[in-house]
This record gives sequence, structure tokens and C-alpha cells, in this order.
Amino acid sequence: MNLNIKADKAQTYDAIVVGSGMTGGWAAKELTEKGLNVLVLERGYELKHVADYKNAMKDPWEFPHRGKITNVAAEEHYATMFFSAKEGSQYLFTNDKENPYIQKRPFNWIRAYHTGGKSLLWGKHTYRWNPQDFLANAKEGIGIDWPIRYEDLVPWYTYVEKFVGVSGQAEGLAVLPDSYFLPPMAMTAPEIHLKKSVAQKLNRPITIGRVAHLTKAQPQHLAVGRTDCQFRNRCTRGCPYGGYFSSLAATLPAARHTNRLTMVHNAIVKEILYDEKTQKAKGVRVIDQNTLEVREFYAKVLFLNAGTIGSTSLLMNSKSARFPNGLGNDSEQLGRNLMDHHLAIGARADVEGFENDYYFGARPGSLYIPRFRNWGADKRSYLRGFGYQGGASRADWSRGAAETGFGADFKNQMTKPGPWKFSLTGFGEVLSDPKNRFYLSETETDKWGLPQLVFDADFGENELAMRKDIMNDAAEMLEAAGFKNVTPYDNPVAHMGLGIHEMGTARMGRDPKTSVLNKYNQVHACKNVFVTDGSGMTSSSNVNPSLTYMALTARAASYAVAQLKARNL
Amino acid sequence: MNRRDALTRTAWLLGGTLSAPTLQAMNRWEQLALSGRTHHRTNSFLTETQREIVARTADLILPRTDTPGAIDAGVPDFINLMLQDCYKKPAQDAFLTGLSDLERKNFLTLTPDQQTALLKQVEAEAQTSSAPTYWLITKELTLLGYFTSEPGIKASFDYQPIPGKFVAIKIKPGQKDFMYGNQV
Repeated sequence: MNLNIKADKAQTYDAIVVGSGMTGGWAAKELTEKGLNVLVLERGYELKHVADYKNAMKDPWEFPHRGKITNVAAEEHYATMFFSAKEGSQYLFTNDKENPYIQKRPFNWIRAYHTGGKSLLWGKHTYRWNPQDFLANAKEGIGIDWPIRYEDLVPWYTYVEKFVGVSGQAEGLAVLPDSYFLPPMAMTAPEIHLKKSVAQKLNRPITIGRVAHLTKAQPQHLAVGRTDCQFRNRCTRGCPYGGYFSSLAATLPAARHTNRLTMVHNAIVKEILYDEKTQKAKGVRVIDQNTLEVREFYAKVLFLNAGTIGSTSLLMNSKSARFPNGLGNDSEQLGRNLMDHHLAIGARADVEGFENDYYFGARPGSLYIPRFRNWGADKRSYLRGFGYQGGASRADWSRGAAETGFGADFKNQMTKPGPWKFSLTGFGEVLSDPKNRFYLSETETDKWGLPQLVFDADFGENELAMRKDIMNDAAEMLEAAGFKNVTPYDNPVAHMGLGIHEMGTARMGRDPKTSVLNKYNQVHACKNVFVTDGSGMTSSSNVNPSLTYMALTARAASYAVAQLKARNL
Repeated sequence: MNRRDALTRTAWLLGGTLSAPTLQAMNRWEQLALSGRTHHRTNSFLTETQREIVARTADLILPRTDTPGAIDAGVPDFINLMLQDCYKKPAQDAFLTGLSDLERKNFLTLTPDQQTALLKQVEAEAQTSSAPTYWLITKELTLLGYFTSEPGIKASFDYQPIPGKFVAIKIKPGQKDFMYGNQV
């Protein structure tokens, strides 16, 4: 019995979207544009596009530590040290000390609790998966088969790409399907040399990185207030030009434009309210992160876009008589099959010559070398493959620290462009493994009384075998170009989470016994709950995942609205 | 572990264009910043005499020429702040040990030529050390403090905070390095 019907009505929407980042923004845009009244719940503080990018226009001398982070900040950001190790962008990363988690095995859980989430901080490399990525699990007997194929996503990739704005070069490669592109970014002279050498000697293609930057803004970008990338490469401080894609710059303004968007900040979703009678979710219970006030919101359909760990842990926390182990967890797969990409491995080299070649501008991108292992006729001892990002640039004044000498001549030397350096860094696919997981702690809670999360995941033999090739193949390519002092490297601190591509903990599949979500990212046993962030990924590919998350979200939103109209939800 | 590797990767993940030597320098910095516990001081990290030695060292590394020098750019205060806020005890101790050596050798009373000769000796000794030293820390902080300062950047480089494009170009005679202000 409900005694407060009036209040309920005021808190009732057509749809609730949990999270305002990469995929939450897309859910908000698609659902509002299709006529739904949408509430977006963001657990963090409100960050306003442009106005709140407090460091975006600062000059280097305005930072007291000139970009270095202090001891205090290092302690507060232990998980994100690698990424927030800059004074200018540290404020966009969550304080790990205040938001602790438990590492049964090492895991970097990198968070950005504010409007826009990690879409403000992403690497912006944007690639379609290829048809094989969706077939490999079934072919090789790893995990479970995807319930969808590349062809199911093609129209949604195109749809999303047009709105996002992806700069890149069409290459016609089966391994890296072309997107709908804005003009590509330029390559430096040694990069062009590497591309030619590697094509000739090793028959491997190299392309310019495909990145979500507006190299030529189109009407749909200008309409939401975005303009061309200014090549400042200060992206992680927030971009006042909207030069790169973020939910804050693009999808949320589009959703707001419909007048059907409501946003509530500081709202930590504690649990999903499950109605045993209708066998559907009826809403969510929310804690205000500052006042601790508990509120409820109701809707016909829920979209979970809190990031893989956030959405999956919300399902875990949503217990009921029907779902004693977490909503939708009939398969017991919730929290399992945690994947990321493994990285921090590759090779570096010195580039002799090209003294008269230089570049103007700070390119927020790199080269991309698509997967070539276990592709076509190539067969390795391990499964799947890897790609590389990398590039060449001239050393700046900081080279002086490693050189001997000081005084007037030394000082003058440091004002001139230094020698060229080349570096390649790999990104490898991680196989789905049920033993790689996170779960709710039974003893430790956070300051809102929610269970802390325990991470228990690591790379396996397949990934470790692949890493040898990543390192050696990078060195081989730099040598093919005739570069000097080729130095392979493998960083042993590169454990899971560091790729910030965590995914797979509520995987999609055909069979409710082995998967959490169906082919439309719908919870098998609770049809009005959709999970469209990285949670649903059945395998990880080796390319950056955000584009695929966005395409899946737009597809699921379209399906959800059609189902609502057909009164199936 | 090699933090430079992680930073190399990080730079590209975040779309960076950091050069390898930048990363090399950052690597050492990070190691310094991460090693051990914080050395707590409530007031200035350096005493007045220590500060003068540091200032003189920085001034010999990047002297005033036709462009401003390290002291003009506020480097001594910057080094004091960095040691206090960003370095942990082992690095702070290594720094102070090297500083005491110079104090014992009456560094401040030497002639400029003698000071240069002594620093060359200190520099040569630092080459053989795998741990951070007074010389390494002072040199890195002097470079950072100077080449990211307003007078340092404006006098030394072609500062372009909003380049607006990325193009491959040929170098011109007397070409100064471009700076975009994106290192921090």
C-alpha cells in the first residue's frame, strides 16, 4: 500500500538513467529525443561544461607545483596515480582514500565521480570492433558466444560516429573497419617513415589514430555548442571548446535541448526496487552523498550506465526475495568475467636524422597499428591479438636533466627542439575468465553504509604469452625503420584496471543460465532494466571499447522505447 | 619498476605528446616523489644558508644571459616548495646530504670559477649514483622551475597556448622550440 501517491507521482519519470558519463549521456540523449521524460542520477557533484573547467586556460606558471602532484595528493589518489599525476587534471579524479576498495589481487579502480564521469578523461581513441571480435569466443570455446554480430551494430556505429565526431583515415581494412570519419590528423616525418618501412618490410598497415576530436565540426556538433579541436592537448583539464567528445559537451546538452531531461546530482543509487508482482523494477532508492537523505524515484524503464563496476555492484546490492544474490543474477555470473586491456608494454627508439623536420601544434592523438597476430594466415601459441598506439616527437628542455652540462651554452641549447624519439605501446585483448571477478565485502562498508568492493582478478597465461610478442614486435617494427637504440620494455606494475577498460561483469548472452543480459542489454529476468555500459561485454577485443558501448546504448534505447510503445515493458 | 614506461603509456592514453626525455625526467621525479615517507617541516624546508647555496647552484645551471636566469624566474623558492610538498624523506635526505657537503666546502665563499669547478665535480660524482642526489634534484627542479615559469617560457620558446592546428613543418633557421603549456 502506498500512502503518499502524490509525492510518488512527482518522483516518477518514464525512464531513469543511472550515471552521466560516456553511456549515461547517450541513454539520456536517445531516450529524451524519442519523447521520454528522463531522470539522470549522478552520484558525484555537478560539474558544468566550460564554467567548471577551472584549469583549462591556465598557463604552466599558474600551477604552484608546475604539474607535479604533492605527497598529499598522491596518497589521496592511490589508484589513479598514473593518470592523475598532473596537477591540472587531478581534480577530475575521485579521491580513492575517501572511496576505498579492497584489492585481494591488485586492481586500479579509476573513478571520476562528477557530471560527465570518465568521458572527460578518456583517451578518445575510437575504433569499431571487427566481425571476428564477435565470433572468436564461440570459435575458440572461450566464455560464451556473443548474442549479437558485427552486422547488428553497423548502423549504430555509424549513427553514433556521426554525432561523436571521429577523426581518422579510411583504410578499408577488415581488421579495423572504417568509421564515418572527420579529416585525419597529420603524421610527423619519422611516423610517415615508419609507416612506409613497416608496410614494405613487414606488410603491416599503420594508420593515424582514430580519435574523437572535431577536426572539422559538422552542423550536429555546432548545434550542441562544440567547436573544432585547438590542438592544445590539455584535454584532461576539460575542453572549453568541446573539441573532444564527452557527455558534458555533447550528449547531455542534446538531451537538455528536448526539455525532457531532469538531472539530480550527489545521488548514490543504493538499490533497484523490484516489484515481485509485476516482476519488474519500479524504481530506485537513492542516498544523497552529502546530506545522507534517502529518496526514491520511479520509472517504467531503468538504464544502468554507472560504469562497469558501478552498474554491476548496483545489481549486486539490489537484493529481493526473487533475487537473493543480486538483481538478474540467476546465472551467478554477476561480477565475474572481469576484463580490461593489458598495456604498458612496447618499445622505444632514438630517431637519427630528420633534423629539419618539425611540427606545429600539440596533437591529442597518435599512430595506430592494428592487430596483425592471429589474423589471416598468422597463428600464434596464444589466442587473440593486440594493437599499438605510439608516435614520434622531438625532445624538449626536459632532456637536459639526463644530459651533462650546465651554464649559458647549456641553457641556450635547451631552447631548441631536441632529437626525435619514437615509442610504441601495445594494447592486448584479455580473455573472459570467471575467476577474474569482484564481489561485495561482507564486513567492510563505505561511508554511506554500502559494502566495499573486493577485487580479485589478474592477467592469465594467454595474456602473458601475448606480451612477449607485443614487446618483440614493437622492437622489430622500430628496427625495420632503421631507428637506433631500440629498447623494448614491459612494465610489471601493469595490472588490471590500469587500462580503464574494465568490462564484462554482467555479460550478454543468449542463455539466462550463463549470462546476465540478453542481446538488447536487457536483464534476462527483469526486462525493464537495461545495462549498457561495459558491464555487458562478452569479450574484450583489443581495441578501445567506448565506441562499442555507445553503439550498444543507442541500440538498446531504441529497442526500449519501441518495447514501451508496444506496451511490452 | 620503471615508471617512465607507465608514463609513456599514460601520455598516449591521454593523447599526450610527451617526449621520451620528458618522461625520463618525470620518471626520476616520480621515483623521488613516491619513495618513502614525507619529511615534515612546518616552515621553510631550507635554512637561509641552504637556500643561498641552492640559489647559487640554480644560477650556475641557468645563469642570466641575454635572457632571464634561474633566480630571475623564482627558481630557489620553487625548489624549496617542491622539496617540501612533492618529495619524500629518502630524496629529501639525499638532497640535504649533498647540500651539507657544499656547505662544508664553503661553497658560497668560492669564486664563480671555483664554484663551477666544484659543481662539475659534483655532477661527475652524480653520474655514478643510481639514487637521487643533490645535483640531480637541483638540476631537474631548476629546469622545471625555469622552463615552466612565465619569464623562462616567454624568453626561451615560441609559446603557443592555442595552436589551433597540427601540421608537419620544416624547421627555420634559429627555430626556438614550441611550447604549448600542456606539460602540467
